[in-house]
Amino acid sequence: MKTSHQLNRREFLAAAGVAAASVPYLIPSGVLAARGRAGASEKITTAHIGVGGMGGYHLRDMVQRRDKGEVNIAAVCDIDEKRLASALKTAGAGVQPYHDYRHVLQRKDIDAVVIATPDHWHGVQMVHAAECGKHVYVEKPACCTIEEGKAMVEAAKQNKVSVQVGSQGRSQPEAYLAHRYLVNGTIGKIRRVDCFHYPSPQDNNPVPDSDPPAELDWDMWLGPLRWRPYNQKYCHGVFRWLLESGGGQIRDRGAHVMSCAMWWMGADGTGPVTVEATGTAPTKGLWDSAILMDVTYTFENPDWVLTWRQMPNNQLPPAEERTGNEPGGKISRPGYGAIYRGDKGEFIHWGGDGGTWVEKKARQWQPRAGAKDVYKSPGHKEDWFKGIKTGAKTIMNIKAAVGVANLCILGNLSYILGRKLQWDQAKQTIIDDPQAQRMMSRPQRHPYHL
Amino acid sequence: MSINHFKKASLAAGIAGTATVTANARRDDAVNKLLAGIKDADDKVRTEAWLSAGAVGAPAVMPLAETMGDDDLEVARAAKRALWKIVRYAGRPGAAKEKRAVETELVVLLGNNHPVSVRREVIWMLSEIGGRNAIRPIARLIENTELREDARMALERVPTKRALQALKFRFKNAPEDFKPNIAQSLRKRGVEVDGYPCRKLVPKKKTNPKPL
Repeated sequence: MKTSHQLNRREFLAAAGVAAASVPYLIPSGVLAARGRAGASEKITTAHIGVGGMGGYHLRDMVQRRDKGEVNIAAVCDIDEKRLASALKTAGAGVQPYHDYRHVLQRKDIDAVVIATPDHWHGVQMVHAAECGKHVYVEKPACCTIEEGKAMVEAAKQNKVSVQVGSQGRSQPEAYLAHRYLVNGTIGKIRRVDCFHYPSPQDNNPVPDSDPPAELDWDMWLGPLRWRPYNQKYCHGVFRWLLESGGGQIRDRGAHVMSCAMWWMGADGTGPVTVEATGTAPTKGLWDSAILMDVTYTFENPDWVLTWRQMPNNQLPPAEERTGNEPGGKISRPGYGAIYRGDKGEFIHWGGDGGTWVEKKARQWQPRAGAKDVYKSPGHKEDWFKGIKTGAKTIMNIKAAVGVANLCILGNLSYILGRKLQWDQAKQTIIDDPQAQRMMSRPQRHPYHL
Repeated sequence: MSINHFKKASLAAGIAGTATVTANARRDDAVNKLLAGIKDADDKVRTEAWLSAGAVGAPAVMPLAETMGDDDLEVARAAKRALWKIVRYAGRPGAAKEKRAVETELVVLLGNNHPVSVRREVIWMLSEIGGRNAIRPIARLIENTELREDARMALERVPTKRALQALKFRFKNAPEDFKPNIAQSLRKRGVEVDGYPCRKLVPKKKTNPKPL
């Protein structure tokens, strides 16, 4: 909305009238409302950057909202022409396609963007969108380096935009029940949270580098990353298993499960003092993220320990039996979650992303008089829309999300370096390790930089 | 020197020489064992080898770089991972001597008698552990059109005045088409740059699919 502050309604409509000759411009909600914020009853105009995978899900979800009259969709953008063509069909007439996301950011009629590109683009695109005055929903993990995270927090603050990061576990109905159950001391003082996850895959059928497919702009897919030749095992869907782009399972599900932990432990804004990781490396293929992984984070004041452990399937805790009538329904992804260990008992949840399932005892717990209540998200996108319209802090705001992403980043750094790291949360830096300090940032290719 | 002193000195030199020979033999054994593991047909043996490469250190850098060009993709990959292990091990706190030894070997690999793919990888290794001796060799690669962007990024990452000076010098002498890239690094390092505005928000790619 920042850019639209500079126009009054009449000026904007005149400008939009000229622009409409080339593209179907929409009226940004900010023009019709109080300075900087859309009116409570006005439609937000969105654009979608990255429309495959989770991006396709977000687009379909937003189309449903548009069809109910809740939002406008102005544009879709992807550097894969097949994906872009498919997204256009989903979005329908009146939606403009773009190859280069910077065209989207130039459009003054767009209030907000949904960014669902590969991880290595999140930081750059979120910062650019904020600098162009757009509110942002960006997929998790928020960032790939410590430096990106700092820039994202600063860009959101400076440009006064609402950012929601896609760790939607916090907004699930059962997440609220777990949070309320835990903050009321039902299992006592929690000293340890052990996250569990099944192993990551190995690239058992490696292929040599090759030319990229005709529909793909490989230069822009890589974007900020150092140049490398295209490989079928390093692109859509599988980039997750490369440390430099996807960061492995810890930066995927870890960004969900540890997000719940930080939220429920009241630890947003805090960070560990030490991080130590070990892991099992793949024995062949291009993918280099750990197959099994053990990371231990120690926190002080208050003292507690968080662990991320990828373990063999036969060591995972069994999932709870359910009827399907529970708030979150049946547990469809029992292979990850966390065990909370308090001095009066334990509590388990499964999932932590779009599905968050908690133990029966937490679902059935009835708060006594005077019990603490906690924020109940109206839904992850609804919470974001509320942030856009009122300026309220979103449930997975950028500062909280960067804190969680930093856990993932530091875990991987410790694994890569093979040593324990010390972290200064106040200064947002690794201590006494010059090589690790250099690795807190990663120079980016021109002009795809923060 | 008395005869006794001479005998003692000779004995000491002999012991030292024997120790050096023994140390060299041990070092060669470690390198040979590592390379044999890296070239093994069994992927588990290869993995065990590259995971243990860190402590072998600088003497393994050259042979591993050569093995990165092996026809067997998995052997080449294991060699590359071993080299990275050495860099990460040598970069640990309190290992300045080992780090310098590895840096010295890596700098040699920047020469144009080595494949571009190896040199590119080495540039990034030096971005993590490179000190004063690595700056000029990296900066020279800004003249190489295939490697200049990696070299620029590596200099941007090395947090020393010398690296910044190298970037400033190269900016003055760079071809016009590459000046915006170096300007980006200079801005990142806190230097104001006139005449080459930031292009990060300027769209440059056209769209093919038409609206419905």
